[in-house]
Amino acid sequence: MKILIVEDEPKTGAYLRQGLAEAGFIVDLSADGIDGMHLALTEAYDLLILDVMLPRLDGWQLLRAVRQAGNEVPVLFLTARDRVEDRVKGLETGADDYLVKPFAFAELLARVRTLLRRGKTKELDVLRAADVELDILRRRATRGGKKIDLTTKEFVLLELFMRRQQEVLPRSLIASLVWDMNFDSDTNVIEVAVRRLRAKLDDNFPRKLIRTVRGMGYVFEAGDGE
Amino acid sequence: MTRRFSITLRLTLLFGATSVIVLLALGYLITETVEHHFEEQDLDILSGKIELAEHALSGITSRAELDALPQQLKNALVGHYGLSMTVLGPRGQTLFTTPNASFTPALLTLTSSATERVSTDLVVWKNGGHMHRGLAAVIPIAFMESSPVTVAVATDISHHVELLGTFSATLWWAMGLAALLSAVLGWLATRFGLLPLRDIARISRETSIDRLNDRIQLDTLPIELKETATAFNDMLARLEDSFRRLTDFASDIAHELRTPISNLMTQTHVTLAQARTIEDYREVLFSNVEELDRLARMVSDMLFLAKADHGLIMPQRETVDLARELTELIEFYGIAAHERDVTLQLEGAGIVMGDRSMLRRAIGNLLSNAIRYSQPGGVTRVVLSKTGDGDITAVVENTGADIAPEQLPRIFDRFYRADPSRHASSEGAGLGLAITQSIIRAHDGKIQATSANSITRFTITFSHAVN
Repeated sequence: MKILIVEDEPKTGAYLRQGLAEAGFIVDLSADGIDGMHLALTEAYDLLILDVMLPRLDGWQLLRAVRQAGNEVPVLFLTARDRVEDRVKGLETGADDYLVKPFAFAELLARVRTLLRRGKTKELDVLRAADVELDILRRRATRGGKKIDLTTKEFVLLELFMRRQQEVLPRSLIASLVWDMNFDSDTNVIEVAVRRLRAKLDDNFPRKLIRTVRGMGYVFEAGDGE
Repeated sequence: MTRRFSITLRLTLLFGATSVIVLLALGYLITETVEHHFEEQDLDILSGKIELAEHALSGITSRAELDALPQQLKNALVGHYGLSMTVLGPRGQTLFTTPNASFTPALLTLTSSATERVSTDLVVWKNGGHMHRGLAAVIPIAFMESSPVTVAVATDISHHVELLGTFSATLWWAMGLAALLSAVLGWLATRFGLLPLRDIARISRETSIDRLNDRIQLDTLPIELKETATAFNDMLARLEDSFRRLTDFASDIAHELRTPISNLMTQTHVTLAQARTIEDYREVLFSNVEELDRLARMVSDMLFLAKADHGLIMPQRETVDLARELTELIEFYGIAAHERDVTLQLEGAGIVMGDRSMLRRAIGNLLSNAIRYSQPGGVTRVVLSKTGDGDITAVVENTGADIAPEQLPRIFDRFYRADPSRHASSEGAGLGLAITQSIIRAHDGKIQATSANSITRFTITFSHAVN
């Protein structure tokens, strides 16, 4: 998976590159709009991450140029300006998603993965990870063949973890995807919810599947054991 | 071209003009009355004399009596200064005349054609610097075969005219002085009356961000200016309040940012001061991330509030089923409520027009607060209802310790925490209620808080006009 980052703030750019590279992506970084546009038009990328304020050519113009060239690559905008007009403009110009600075890197990573996955993977009806099996249609969860009793939201939460294995899911993303809470709500609630899910899922098993990544969120690791 | 005269000038001119008009009318009236009075007086005297002469003439039956007429008339006229008389015979011969009598021919010829025996037409003429007023009559005498005799009497009215002249002159002077005086008084009264306005002007002039505390003294103001001054004072009070909040907010921001930044700096500097194990570094980074998360959240909340202040929050207008949203919110916050052994209840229903995600945030903040301040085993209740006016209300109430009455008005202030010891705990920066209020206001709604008898209640009212 190849990603182009166009970001003129050197520190942000460097860390984004490092972070995404360490997450397994191939990353190109450009620090100004014109160079970025050339790269975007000449190389094949799976995703563009554009800062709005760029020297020489801003993010919107770059995006327009790319779309005019018939390139439908997904685009994620980073903006420091949290203005309603910006959002409208961004989505009208054909951006797929946006993040307002400052943002958590885990959040960015999660959004990047969502965009890259979009339309590509078939949603499975039965999810399996380690010895856990989740039957989406019948709303049944089992671990090691034994049924686990989950509330509706706990089921949705586990489904999210299983669909996004190995990904660190920030609390805000979980709140947004499971409870439709799209603002900085009580993160304490997420902690409680995850703790309860864990109690049902992990407590009676030596192998713990949901791990807390301090300061970032939670990750479901099914891996083939250490 | 319109010139703008000052109120003082206008009122001064008005006072002057009014007094001139009034005095002119009065002067005219007095002059006329006096003149008329003199005329009446003259007419009385003159017609009296004519009657006298008539009486004398009608009694004449012989030549001797006719010869005695002058003496008789002279006697009758004794003591009447300025009175003159002439009696003309049928052929115009003078039968009698007082010395210095000089009658205008107009008077004498007037009567020859008169049909009236005694006319009341007074004639005025001037002779040798004296003004005269005269009356004439034609009287038939039996003795002279009833041939008519003309009798004319006149009185010197110079002193009347003089008197009237002096009176007029005095009147003019008085009028001028009175006009001047009333103009001056008007000017003084206006100046004095407008002093409170100068007061207002002075306070306006001196008002600046450093001095918003001056107020116009209402008790000394005339009633007409009270309304203006009250409005002005209210405006000042609002400005002062807004400005105080703004400065408080600015210094609060600085204060709120300083603590986490100082933590981050100290921690990072200390860590870098010597080589440490990887675990130690990780620990510091974890701790930093927590601080930074809080900072980022605070900044985005402050941005939201700043946008709200500038009217940049534009809620979408969609149909929002509050009961449905609340069911979901309760599902979310129920997890926290359960942890704290707080029961959550929802009653009623209500549909409003608004921005779904903003309203969720606004009510979510209230729910989160309510759960946090409920005592263990307590109840947090949400009641949706429709008032008689068609307004939709959402009441979020919790059982638990009351908010002190003096704190109640401030709880919507930014960074305000009822309990200072809770400062910097995990519950956020104290912007939640301010954000809720901003959202509700952006929806043209109202939010109020009451706290008594161990129940704290927040009431949101969505105006029916919007829905």
